[in-house]
Amino acid sequence: MSQAWQQQQERGSRASIRMMTWVAQSLGRPGARALLYPICAYFLLGSGAARRAIGRFREQALGRPASWRDLIRHYHAFASTILDRVYFLLGRFDLFEIQVHGLDVLDRELAKGRGCVLLGSHLGSFEMVRAVGLSRQHIEIRVLMDEQNAPLIRGLIQELNPAAAETVIQVGGADTMLQVKECLDRGGVVGIMGDRVMQEDQAVVCNFLGREARFPTGTMRLAHVVRAPVVLFFGLYRGGNRYEVYLESFSEGVRLSHEQRATDLKQWTQRYADRLEAFCHRAPDNWFNFYEFWND
Amino acid sequence: MSELSLLEQDIAKLIVETLKLKVDPATIQPVAALFGDGLGLDSIDALELALAISQSYGYQLRSNDPEINAIFSSLRTLTKAIEKNRTK
Repeated sequence: MSQAWQQQQERGSRASIRMMTWVAQSLGRPGARALLYPICAYFLLGSGAARRAIGRFREQALGRPASWRDLIRHYHAFASTILDRVYFLLGRFDLFEIQVHGLDVLDRELAKGRGCVLLGSHLGSFEMVRAVGLSRQHIEIRVLMDEQNAPLIRGLIQELNPAAAETVIQVGGADTMLQVKECLDRGGVVGIMGDRVMQEDQAVVCNFLGREARFPTGTMRLAHVVRAPVVLFFGLYRGGNRYEVYLESFSEGVRLSHEQRATDLKQWTQRYADRLEAFCHRAPDNWFNFYEFWND
Repeated sequence: MSELSLLEQDIAKLIVETLKLKVDPATIQPVAALFGDGLGLDSIDALELALAISQSYGYQLRSNDPEINAIFSSLRTLTKAIEKNRTK
C-alpha cells in the first residue's frame, strides 16, 4: 500500500526528540553519534514491517537479499540524518563537509525570473535544501511539508529554528498552492518531495527499480499550472560528516496537453522515477521510505 | 437547481471549464464544499481556479487573506468574494 506510511506511526515520542536535541547539543556530534547504534537497534527490532520494507527495497535496488549488517548500516544512515537535522536547524553547517554539485543549474533557471521548483524525495536528507541557501543567501527558499503526518519533525523545527518553521508551507490547505505560486512569483525556490502518494486518486503507476510502484502526480500538475522550471534535488548522506547535494535540470516547463493529459502526466512522472532510481543505485542506504513502496 | 444566481452560474461554468470537470455546472450545489468531500477539488485545483478568476474578473486571491479558506469553501462564498472584489 502506497499510503502505508501515513498509517505508520512516527516512532519515538516528543520527549525523545527533546532528549536527542539535548544530547546533540551537550555531547557534541561525536558523542551523540556513539548513541546511534543502540537507537538503531531499538528501531530495527521495534518494527518488523519497516524492517521488511527496507529489506525489500535493498533487494530490489541491489539484486541481493539484505543482511542484518546491511540493515544496520541503512538504519544508521537514517539515524545520522535525523541527528544531523538538529545541527542543520541550529545552523551548525560548519560541522559538515557539504559538496554541492550543479548550483549553476539552479542559478541559470532562477535568472529567468520565474522562480524554481526543487523536486526532491525521501532519498537522503531534504533538509539539505537549506544548505543551498548557504551559498545563495538572497534566495527565498520554502519547503512544502506534510506537517500533520510529521508532528515531531514540525516540533523539532519550531523549537530549534522558528525562522525555518516560517518557511514551511503546510500541504492540504486550499491556499497551499497559492503560497507556492506567490513564492515562485517573487523569484523564490519551493522544495517539494515527489515520491510519496498523498491522494490515492492523484497518482500513476511507474516502473521503479524493475517493478510497478505508484507515484504522486501533484508536482507535475503544479509545474504545469505555475509554468516554473523544475530542478531535481538530492541531498545524499555519504557517511561520517559528509553530504553531497545534487541539483540537476529536469524541465524548463512541464506542459500537459489537454488531449493526452493522463499520458503526459505519466511520462513526466516516469522521468522523475527514472532519475530517482538512478540516485537510489548511487546511495541505496539513503532510502528513507520505511514502508512498502511497491504495489503488490 | 434554479437557486443559483446568475454570477454563481458563471462561476460554476468557470470552475468546470478551468478544471475540466465531468459535471454539469448547473448541478453544483451552491453551499456544498468545493474541496475534499464535495466537488473533490484539491489545492492545485484551487490555484488553477484562482488564476482563472484573476484573468476573468481581475480579482487576485491571496494566501495571506485571512478569509481565504472561507472564500474557497463553497460556490456561494467564492461568488460573494468575486462580486465584492472584481475589477472587471
